[in-house]
Amino acid sequence: MASARSPSALLGTFRAASHRPATAWRQRCSYHSQEYTQPPPFPPAESAILTSALSHVPSYGFTADALRLGARDAGYMDVSTNLLPRGVFDLINYHLVTQRLALKSTVQFPSTGDQGKKLGTGAKVRTLTLARLRANEPLIHRWQEALAIMAQPSYASTSLAELARLADEIWYLAGDESVDSSWYTKRASLSAIYSATEVFMTQDKSKNFIETEQFLDSRLGDVMKMGGFIGALSEWADYTAHSAVNVLRSKGMRV
Amino acid sequence: MNAQSARVLFRRQLLAGGRPRAGAGAAERGQYRCLSCTARQLQQQQTPPKRDGTTHFGFETVAEALKEQKVRGVFSSVASSYDTMNDLMSMGIHRLWKDHFVRNLNPGRNPLTSGPSEQKGWNILDIAGGTGDIAFRMLDHASTINHDAHTKVTVADINPEMLAEGRKRALETPYARSPRLNFIEANAEKLDMIPDNSIDLYTVAFGIRNFTHKEDAIREAYRVLKPGGVFAVLEFSKVNNGLFDAVYKRWSFSAIPLIGQLVAGDRDSYQYLVESIERFPSQPQFRDMIQDAGFLVPGQGWEDLTGGIAAIHKGVKPA
Ligand SMILES: C[S@@+](CC[C@H](N)C(=O)[O-])C[C@H]1O[C@@H](n2cnc3c(N)ncnc32)[C@H](O)[C@@H]1O
Repeated sequence: MASARSPSALLGTFRAASHRPATAWRQRCSYHSQEYTQPPPFPPAESAILTSALSHVPSYGFTADALRLGARDAGYMDVSTNLLPRGVFDLINYHLVTQRLALKSTVQFPSTGDQGKKLGTGAKVRTLTLARLRANEPLIHRWQEALAIMAQPSYASTSLAELARLADEIWYLAGDESVDSSWYTKRASLSAIYSATEVFMTQDKSKNFIETEQFLDSRLGDVMKMGGFIGALSEWADYTAHSAVNVLRSKGMRV
Repeated sequence: MNAQSARVLFRRQLLAGGRPRAGAGAAERGQYRCLSCTARQLQQQQTPPKRDGTTHFGFETVAEALKEQKVRGVFSSVASSYDTMNDLMSMGIHRLWKDHFVRNLNPGRNPLTSGPSEQKGWNILDIAGGTGDIAFRMLDHASTINHDAHTKVTVADINPEMLAEGRKRALETPYARSPRLNFIEANAEKLDMIPDNSIDLYTVAFGIRNFTHKEDAIREAYRVLKPGGVFAVLEFSKVNNGLFDAVYKRWSFSAIPLIGQLVAGDRDSYQYLVESIERFPSQPQFRDMIQDAGFLVPGQGWEDLTGGIAAIHKGVKPA
């Protein structure tokens, strides 16, 4: 299996979903953080319940219990979790979307760097990616559960779409304005690198996730060196599929 | 009815050239349990309707006050052949839909994960609960899945015969004499006996399309629910695929009334049931009605089952 790095079914979906001319993609997607007119991503009652529920994830995991406790904290009842049609996946999705949208305000680039040099796009991409990964820190010991749920057939395409949005947001915030043929390549490579690093981080025991940071840097380095993203992408699919299967198994599913 | 008399009836039916004209077959049908006769009698005895409106009884337009009587008639007529009717109209899948409906609502408070709290169990109101189908599932789920021995269900129905059927079936469950299950006769549009803000979960399965004033019923649901409480509806709905829709209409409009006649000796009741489904608002329209009453709706507001033959709508009363 380790050598079977041919594009998987997962990859197929990913490619199909992203293989649009850059301009069409940009028009269709109105999720860039710069659009001030966009409505808040979640209605108030859902936000209140999900925000409180996230605070229970460190102790209860991504579970219906966390949702129920969140509902109670928000002044609702157990039964009110019916407001979330996808249950626990809605909780995960809430974290993904709110953390993506938060990047814009959590990461501010000075107009000049330390040595008075302007920060390059590549360095900005690295900073933003790291910031997004760090937003998983409080939940990191539960994040494998989330990855397993995200990989379930009914949620995989939504999860991949959200990943594509994250990559797009990072390139956008890093100031990349190209609309040439590299547009797609950049986003695909970044999605792949992000996912692989995110999985790596769930197993990282090093102090302050220093190994995760190194892992990210060497992935970014690879891509720069080879200019290739296919390798990284299939590696990611392999890695994610493996860990998802393992988590599901540990939860007693026969897969 | 045994197979032979069904066959005889079927032949007579064919000879008569399909659908009997209204009144023509009345004498003949009188020998079976006949609800359309009941309905017709009621119609004759009826004092003039109080409200000066008309409403739909299937595709017939009738005075509003009459509809309640007529609907009562339909369900008196089909009370005991009720499962057959549901099987016919859902092509046998209504049991799966009900299982899904209940599992998804996940009734009951799990003492293992809930921690100590003033409130034990949920207070569930199952409207149009007739035969107890939904109520028994709720109690089973609460007990076996959530280890909850306190959740209560009140079954309300406008029709005493349906309630009698439910009480009878309850005898075969562990809940027959327990305080966790009770039956009341009530009209969903006027639930005076239920206090404001007292219910955790209000369910209505295959009932709301029969209500004369659906908005009134939804408003009552909103009133009796606690803040954060859930309104959940399982109902036949609009099939969302053109071809499948054509096939299903064909089935429901021609085959079901005929089979109804064979099984229950009562074509008109089944005709009404089929037509009432066709008249029921589409999924987005019904979602809007729920929102108009003040409910929050999850996601798009509904979940289609089996291509939209049925749908589950939910609303949450804001806290
Ligand atoms: C098709 S049966 C549904 C029974 C049961 N909920 C199930 O799913 O098997 C419809 C029920 O609605 C009841 N009903 C009709 N109009 C009603 C009203 N206005 N208020 C309360 N119940 C009503 C009928 O008496 C009948 O029992």
